[in-house]
Amino acid sequence: MRIKDVKYLRFKTYLNAYCPHCNQSFNVDTINEKTLDFKAVYKKKKIDLRLSPYLDVFELEASVPVEKGDILDDLLCPYCSKSIVKKDFSCKECGTKAAEVIISADEKLIPFYLCLKYGCEWHGLSKADEKKIKLKIPRQDMPEQDQTLRIHNHQEVPYGYTSELALLEAGRCIQCKNPKCIDGCPVNIDIPGFISLVVEEKFDEAVKKIKERNILPAICGRVCPQENQCEEACVLGIKEKPVAIGRLERFVADFERKMELVKVPIINKNTGKKIAVVGSGPAGLTVAADMRQLGYSVTIFEALHETGGVLTYGIPEFRLPKSIVQFEINYLKEMGCRIELNHIIGATITVDELLENFNAVFIGVGAGLPTFMNIEGENLGNVFSSNEYLTRMNLMKAYKFPEYDTPMPKGENVTVIGGGNVAMDSARTAIRTGSDKVTIVYRRSRNELPAREEEVHHAEEEGIKFRLLTNPVRYLGTDDNRVKGMECIKMELGEPDNSGRRRPIPIEGSNFILDCDLVVIAVGTGPNPTIFQSTPDIKRNKWGYIEVNPDTNETSKEFVYAGGDIVTGSATVIQAMGAGRIASNAMHEKLSKIKK
Amino acid sequence: MKEFKSINDVLDFAIKGEQEAVDFYNQLAENSKTEDMRHVFTSFAQEEMEHKTRLTKIKAEGLYQFEKKEIVDLKIGDYTVSVKPSPEMSYQDALILAMKKEKAAFRLYYELAKRANNDEMKDVFLSLAQEESKHKLRFEIEYDEYVLREN
Repeated sequence: MRIKDVKYLRFKTYLNAYCPHCNQSFNVDTINEKTLDFKAVYKKKKIDLRLSPYLDVFELEASVPVEKGDILDDLLCPYCSKSIVKKDFSCKECGTKAAEVIISADEKLIPFYLCLKYGCEWHGLSKADEKKIKLKIPRQDMPEQDQTLRIHNHQEVPYGYTSELALLEAGRCIQCKNPKCIDGCPVNIDIPGFISLVVEEKFDEAVKKIKERNILPAICGRVCPQENQCEEACVLGIKEKPVAIGRLERFVADFERKMELVKVPIINKNTGKKIAVVGSGPAGLTVAADMRQLGYSVTIFEALHETGGVLTYGIPEFRLPKSIVQFEINYLKEMGCRIELNHIIGATITVDELLENFNAVFIGVGAGLPTFMNIEGENLGNVFSSNEYLTRMNLMKAYKFPEYDTPMPKGENVTVIGGGNVAMDSARTAIRTGSDKVTIVYRRSRNELPAREEEVHHAEEEGIKFRLLTNPVRYLGTDDNRVKGMECIKMELGEPDNSGRRRPIPIEGSNFILDCDLVVIAVGTGPNPTIFQSTPDIKRNKWGYIEVNPDTNETSKEFVYAGGDIVTGSATVIQAMGAGRIASNAMHEKLSKIKK
Repeated sequence: MKEFKSINDVLDFAIKGEQEAVDFYNQLAENSKTEDMRHVFTSFAQEEMEHKTRLTKIKAEGLYQFEKKEIVDLKIGDYTVSVKPSPEMSYQDALILAMKKEKAAFRLYYELAKRANNDEMKDVFLSLAQEESKHKLRFEIEYDEYVLREN
C-alpha cells in the first residue's frame, strides 16, 4: 500500500460515486475488494482500467502497460461510456486534465476529481469537502476482552488498535490550522503532527514526534484522561466525537515496542555533574531521562523493591501491564541511569546527605499516603485503604498467592468508597478475585464521578454496582472485630462547590445499613511526610504538599526541585511528567552556569 | 449553671468563649512541631479573634439584629471520630478538632436558647448558635473539598 492510499482508506464503506451523465453509482467497497472498472482512452485506444478501491490514484491494473506518469486521453463512465473528464479543468498537482465523478458524503453530492496522469496523487477534494467527509467517519472503538471473560483474569482489557483501525481513526483528524489539542495537552505534544505521520503510515516517526515531548507514550496512551485534556479541546469534538488521540498514541508506542524500534538517544557529553531523583514515578522518570540525555550522571532512588511508583503499585495490570512500565524503566537503564531500590529518602538517606554527593535533587515521591474519613470502625479487620489494597494486589501480586507470598484480601461482598479512578481500579480488582458482589458507594451522583468515563463504563460492564448519593457514617464489626457492614446516610446535591461539582448534603434521618465483608476506602491520598521529617527546611503548604516556584519547580531549599503529586496532590501521569520537564529545564539552566 | 441577667451578660459569655478559643489555638500553634501547622493554628486563632471583635463591637454599639437563616449542615463534624490535640497533628486532624469545637459551641448556645428567660435573650442565643454553625460549615467545606477529594 502506498502512502497516499492510506488517506482514503477510511472512506471505504461510505463512498458512493456517481457518473455526472447517467447518474449511475459506482459502489466502492474495499471490504469485499470490489474495484471500480473504468474504460479509459490511452494512446487513442480504449483500454480497461481498474481503479484503486481507495478512489485515489490509478493504481491498479490497466489492460495495456501504462507507466506511472503516462497521461490518459480520456476516462469514461463504466456504464454509459461517456467521458467524465471535466472540461477546462486541470489537476492542481501536475496541470493535466482531470475526470470528475460525484461522490456522496454528508448527504450531499460532492465532485471528486481524478487526474488523468497515471499515478498522480492529486484527488481534487477541497479542504471543506474533505472535512465534510471526515466528519462522517465514526470514532473507532478499540477491540477489547469480552466482559464475561475478563473478570476471571487480570490481563489488559483493551487490545489496542490494529493498524487498519489506527489509519481509519487518524484519517478523522481534520488537521486544523489552529489546533486546540496541543494546548489541551499538558506537555504540548504536536498532536496533528504525529497523527499526520500515522496517516502516512510512518508509525515509527509518529512515536518519535510524541517522544519529543513525552517519554512515556505507551503509558499515557493508556491511563491519561484525554477526554479532559487534548480530546476535550479537539475541534472535531464540537459536532462529532473527538479524534481518539490517546488510542493513537498508545498504538504508535506499542508499534515501536513490538517492532523493537526503540533506540537509545544520543547522550550529550558528560557534564561531570550528578543528579539524584527521588521516586521512580512519571515525574522522576521524566527528569531522569531529560537530565541523562543532557549528559548528567543520574541516580534514581526508589523506596519500594520495584520501580515505577504509582504506575506499578497503584494502577492494576488490567489497565496498565507492568511489562510496559518495566520496558520504559529499562530504557532509562540503557540510557545509563542508575537505579537504587529500597532506599527511603528521609529514612535511609536524608536530602541533605544527597546534596553532599549530588549537584541537585529532584523530589517526585508522589502522594502515597492514604486518606481515611476518620469515621467510627475504620480500624476494623478487612477495612483497607485503596493504597494498601492495590499495593497488595499489584505490587505484591497477591492475586497470584501462593505463587507470591502476599495473601489475597478477599471478600464475598465488597464495598469500595469513592468515585475516582482508584475506586474503579479497586472495585474492578475485587471483582477479579471472585467476589460475588462489588459495590461502589459514592456520595454524589453519576455526573460528578471523578473517574474517567471509560473506567466507569468498564466497571459497569463488569457488573460493579453503584450506590450513588450515599455516604458511610460508620462501620459495623463482628465480635472478632471484622467488618460486617456499614451505616450509610443518603445525600442530596446542593449548590456547586469550588470544583464546580454540586456539594452533597446529608438527608436527615435517611440512615440505613449496608452489609459487606470487605471495604476499600478510596476517597483520596495525601503526601507522605517521611522525607520532610529530616528536611524541615523544604517549605510545604498546610496540606503538606511542597511549595515550589512554578517557573522552575525549585523548592525553598536551593538545588532541590520537586514535581508531580507531591506538589499538586493527585493529578494525571502527563501532568506529573510536565512538572518533571519544567524542573529538568530549570535544573539544567542553573547547573550549566555553575562550574564543577 | 451560669445565670444570664441581660443581653450584655450573654455577649460577655460569648466573647469569653471566643477568647478561650483564641488561646486554645495559639497554644496549639506554639506546640506544633512543623511550621505549616503552626501557621494553620495561628490562622484559626485569628479567625476566632475576628469573631470576638465582632461580638465586642455589637456589645459596644448595642445593635443586635437576629437574622434567621438556615445554615447547611454537612454533618462531617458529627461522624468523624474525635481527635486529641497533639504537637504532631495533621491538617485533617486540625479541621476535625475545629469543626467539633464549633459544633460543641453551637450545641451550648442552642441549649441556652431553650432555657432563656425571655424571647429577646433566646434570639441572641440562637443567633450565636447560628454563627457557630457558620464557622463549623467553613471547616466542613474545607474538609469536604480537600480530604474527601475523590468522594
